[in-house]
Amino acid sequence: MVDIEKIEKRTVRSFYDDGLFEVALGLLLLLLGGYFFAQTVVPKDSRLSSVLSILFVLVIVSAGFIVSRILRLLKRRITYPRTGYVAFKKKEPSPWRKIAAAGAGALIGASLAALYALSPSVRVLLPAVNGLLFAIAVLFVANKIGVIRFYVLAAASAVIGVGVTAAGIGDTKGVSLYYGLFGAAFLLSGLAALIFYLNRFPRPAPETPEGPDAH
Amino acid sequence: MPTDVRLLSDLDRVIHEPARLALAAILSVVESADFLYLQRETGLTKGNLSSHLAKLEEAGYVAIEKTYRGRIPLTLVRLTDAGAAAYKAYRARFRKFLEKA
Repeated sequence: MVDIEKIEKRTVRSFYDDGLFEVALGLLLLLLGGYFFAQTVVPKDSRLSSVLSILFVLVIVSAGFIVSRILRLLKRRITYPRTGYVAFKKKEPSPWRKIAAAGAGALIGASLAALYALSPSVRVLLPAVNGLLFAIAVLFVANKIGVIRFYVLAAASAVIGVGVTAAGIGDTKGVSLYYGLFGAAFLLSGLAALIFYLNRFPRPAPETPEGPDAH
Repeated sequence: MPTDVRLLSDLDRVIHEPARLALAAILSVVESADFLYLQRETGLTKGNLSSHLAKLEEAGYVAIEKTYRGRIPLTLVRLTDAGAAAYKAYRARFRKFLEKA
């Protein structure tokens, strides 16, 4: 008997087979780590420090845009010739889901802001908080699509975040180290998946006349 | 006729065939997919895939678009609204049958 749910889940999971999503996300996280590291290097009262703070949203948005472009380009060059083209549905979330997501985001943002406004002793918890929040998010995705290595990445996020906090590296420096290490973990996981994918699916020879267009 | 048997006999036969059911299940979660992707995911031969897609197209359940990416021919397949509705109905009916059985 055909297991419909298994096929649907497997189809969604196929998006992650080539590891390119992890490579792209790893690059984005490394960029974030670099941004936070720059904040620790630049003198706090300098003009550059203010510019860096103002540019935070712009950095995130433009980095996200560039990374998604790179991901699309790599998929076109690497994935589609090997395992075929597929465009996934962009699900429009229900209004309740949007409200719940906005509420959760606001709550997390407010908690982080409150944590940041508190004494330095509490601020050192920021890497652990980031690590645990990302661990929950990655765990949610892993559970939804069933990619085993995402469970490992979720565990890595929690371990890195808590480990950096326990090492007493500091708040911003600690956060930058967390993003650097977690980004590197994502990147390595993606590259390992990509190598496995490339070995499993070598680029096929150019199509013969009875190829995909034969239908 | 008992309800559970009627549920089974009323199943859409175009979709009920295992290969076409697998194709409908794949296409239900994607916007569109090309021939190579469907072939790899289902494990069907080119000929078999073509014939099952033709049956689904005949029933109005899939739309097949022949296009080019650069100079490479590309056959894009997507589930039509009728196909999506038929698959959804099949899924619900089959689940009901399994619950009753």
